[in-house]
Amino acid sequence: MATDSLDLLQGTLDVLVLRALSWGPMHGYAVARFINRGSDGTFKVLDGALYTSLHRMEERGWIESEWGNSETGKRAKFYRLTTVGRRAVRSETTNWNDYVAAVARVLAATPEPAR
Amino acid sequence: MPYPHTTPAWRRYLRLIRSPIARDVDDELRFHFQSRIEELTALGAAPGDARRRAEEEFGDINQVRSDLMSIDHRVAAQRHRREDFSDTLADVRYAFRSLRRSPGLAAGVILLLALGIGANAAMFTFLDTVFLRMPAGVVDPGGIRRLWRYHQFSTEAQFWPGFSYAQYDAVRTALGDRARTALYTAPWKVKIGLGESSGEAQFVKAEAGFFALTGARAEIGRLYDSTEDRLDGPQRVAVVSHDYWRRALNGDRSAIGKPIVIAGSRYTVIGVMREPFVGVDLDAADIWIPLAFEAEGRRENGPWWKSPNINGFQILVRPAPTANDAQLEQRMTAVLRRPDFGWYSDTLSVARFGSIVRAAGPGKQEQEVQIGIRLAGVALIVLLIACANVVNLLLGRAVQRQREIAVRLALGISRSRLVRLLFAETSLLALAASGAALLVAYLAGNLLRRLLLPEVHWASSPLDGRVVGFALGVAVVAAIIAGLIPALQSARADVNDVLKSRSSGGGREGSRVRSTLLVSQAALSALLLCGAGLFVRSLSNVRHIDIGFDTQRIITATVSYDDHARSSDSTFPARLGELASRISTIPGVRHVALSSARPMYSISWLTFFTETDSSRRGFSPTWTAVSSGYFDASGVRLLRGEDFPKTRGGPHAVVVNDAMAKLAWPGRPAIGACMRFGKRTEPCYRVIGVVENSRERSVIEDASPMYYLPLNDLPPEARGWTANYVMLSTDPRSAASVVGSVRGLIRQAFPGGIPSIVRLSDYLEPEYRPWRLGATLFSAFGLLALVVAVVGIYSTTSYSVQQRVQEFAVRIALGARLADVVQLVVAEGTRVVAIGVVLGVGLAIVAGKLVASLLYGISPSDPATALGVAAILFVAGIAAAMFPAWRAARVDPAATLKTD
Repeated sequence: MATDSLDLLQGTLDVLVLRALSWGPMHGYAVARFINRGSDGTFKVLDGALYTSLHRMEERGWIESEWGNSETGKRAKFYRLTTVGRRAVRSETTNWNDYVAAVARVLAATPEPAR
Repeated sequence: MPYPHTTPAWRRYLRLIRSPIARDVDDELRFHFQSRIEELTALGAAPGDARRRAEEEFGDINQVRSDLMSIDHRVAAQRHRREDFSDTLADVRYAFRSLRRSPGLAAGVILLLALGIGANAAMFTFLDTVFLRMPAGVVDPGGIRRLWRYHQFSTEAQFWPGFSYAQYDAVRTALGDRARTALYTAPWKVKIGLGESSGEAQFVKAEAGFFALTGARAEIGRLYDSTEDRLDGPQRVAVVSHDYWRRALNGDRSAIGKPIVIAGSRYTVIGVMREPFVGVDLDAADIWIPLAFEAEGRRENGPWWKSPNINGFQILVRPAPTANDAQLEQRMTAVLRRPDFGWYSDTLSVARFGSIVRAAGPGKQEQEVQIGIRLAGVALIVLLIACANVVNLLLGRAVQRQREIAVRLALGISRSRLVRLLFAETSLLALAASGAALLVAYLAGNLLRRLLLPEVHWASSPLDGRVVGFALGVAVVAAIIAGLIPALQSARADVNDVLKSRSSGGGREGSRVRSTLLVSQAALSALLLCGAGLFVRSLSNVRHIDIGFDTQRIITATVSYDDHARSSDSTFPARLGELASRISTIPGVRHVALSSARPMYSISWLTFFTETDSSRRGFSPTWTAVSSGYFDASGVRLLRGEDFPKTRGGPHAVVVNDAMAKLAWPGRPAIGACMRFGKRTEPCYRVIGVVENSRERSVIEDASPMYYLPLNDLPPEARGWTANYVMLSTDPRSAASVVGSVRGLIRQAFPGGIPSIVRLSDYLEPEYRPWRLGATLFSAFGLLALVVAVVGIYSTTSYSVQQRVQEFAVRIALGARLADVVQLVVAEGTRVVAIGVVLGVGLAIVAGKLVASLLYGISPSDPATALGVAAILFVAGIAAAMFPAWRAARVDPAATLKTD
């Protein structure tokens, strides 16, 4: 896989994961369900990439983890946004929206006549 | 006080289990797959399909697993670092708070350590600059050797770095292409400019090759080359150091090409040396001029470079990479033993390479440097005493805090954490102390330099990175020593014992450690005081040496000119004679005479023969040309025979001193004996008088053979020698006014001349300096040690009195009298001092051997000194214990016993 496409994917995935966690602490599987359900099958995220994203963001200090019990009573690792992470959700979301809007503007534009 | 936050225990335990990270990752992934498979099965998939689908959705499981593990490892390491840092920060904050509650203790500890560390840093600086630091700006200084030779001097055999040009030439030829060589003279103070208000600079005479060998380069202008540095006709060109250029020539680029007057002669400045080169000696050089000027103004028969008399040159050698030092030394030794080097030839000569750093060479150290080395040891002892005292103070504090510590232990703090916490306190103290120590080091370093080597022109500041590093290093070691003992001891305390016992008393073990420390402090103080005593008594012995001359009464006067030609004027001696007769009319002047040299400055030898001796003589007497009346003026007593007659025309006469009489004519009367100068065929000079021995060069030396010839009837061998000095004796009380009158007379008689009038006592003062220095510095350190030890005894005794208040109350209630209680307390302090004194004096006798060579007229195991020191320490120890003892005796039994 080429590096730049991975970076794009990774950045996108981070926003989605952060968004998921902004609803409250979740374990990895819940985050996967949130994203796959939300996308409605438009795109497919490999679950492995999702876990990599979770751990990377933990390293960055955006989220922290703790072991706890899942809905079914099993031991699971829960992730939670940190103060830094909450700030990141806001800025990453804004960035993403700006990016999407810019792409949309370019797609809608017509060429100006050359002078 | 809240206890600092620590990490939850479970995280610490998790760290201990083998690879918890791998387990965590596996658990997390297992949970994911279980959940997904359950969900898919619930939706109706077959278990096998469900698993396959879950794995497809996941991607490369092994890759992800190893990625996650490596990320988590980094996360764990990060967390670890952060926790350690916050723990340390908490420790420091805690230490700071708890020290602020006892500012007296903190100040005491910082002061003690600052003095101890500062003294050591200052000594380190001194030794570092003298022995370790390579000269700045020299290319590969480690590859340059300084040449020394072992030589039998009249007083003793020793290594010496001085050579004549002929010897240099022979050495250079012997080395051939195995090494590069260069010749130069050590820096020497010289007058710059004209008149009485001229400046001074350190100048060096060096071969042009000296620059190439050391790698010195010009910053502005150029250095002189071998065509300007000819032996027979050197050019008057000078190179100045960058520092001198900035300091004395205002850093003006146009100084190049301008004249500079050095020692009365005009030179042209041709270049400024590139920084930081200031020569290869401890003494920084300001000016370099061609080598041959060393011979200027010297009366030599034949070319100067053949003369064995001009022999103060230093030889630098840079051996080729392939050369073997030992082989080169052998070659040079062989040529130095050649018989054609005048009276400097020596069949026992040995050539030896030394470091470019002269003090590190094989030669004898200057006495001041030797004292410096011993002082470094003394400074270390002072630091030990300071540390012992700090340990005592901290131990006392630890005992006071035993209850607090026990509570902490009971609440579950780990003992290692406790040690860390207490250690943080001492480290904080040591850090503050090392800051204060640097200040002490800077002040003391400058002071030491001025005291120990005042003539040296220092190129660098006493403080540099190495000294700062040294001070910090010592501070850390001191913190470990001073902090660990109390910390370990309090951490060992048994929680139950302390909490159950009602008193806050210190353990028996604690008091044992403390009295051991007190004993060692007393012992070390005794050691230093013994050293101080020995040096003080040496100084007094040296002061009382009879040097032959009447130092308090003698004044010498002479005149010099900026222009060499005028002082070598043939009418000069006659005019000096006229001046002498005019001086004799000044009120307060008793005797006046003329001489060729200043007392203790007669460094001149003549070839002579007696009736009996062979050419090889075991002694080489120096001589002085004097006028009649010289012995009266100098205070050198006539033992037998008579002084020179006032008028000339009688038979040729010579006066010898007692040492010469005994060496030259053993067992026979010297009076009437014959000396012939130069050749055996010369006319006979008869000994007409024998005078007492006087010192030849320094205050402390064995009596040297000397003789005196009359100025008005010198043998041809002594031609060229004339009267150079007027010597007068006066009442010490009127000396100041006499000096003024003499100066006036010289101005009248020698217009344009520069008078130089010196009292012998002033002139000799530097001779006593090493002894005065030893006495002063050892006394200062000894007193410091004594004060520190007394404070230690005082504080420890007061502390133990405080601890035993109840015991004293009971004793007093049971009828003990005031004297009984005082005696009880003082006896304890005295016991400590007694053991310390015995140990310290024993140490002093052993260590005395190290300073024996620096003492004069006293044995290192001198019993009077030891007894004196013992007495001083006893009195001080009893006095220190007396105050707390008094307090113990005044305990109110009723009040004390009721409170408990």
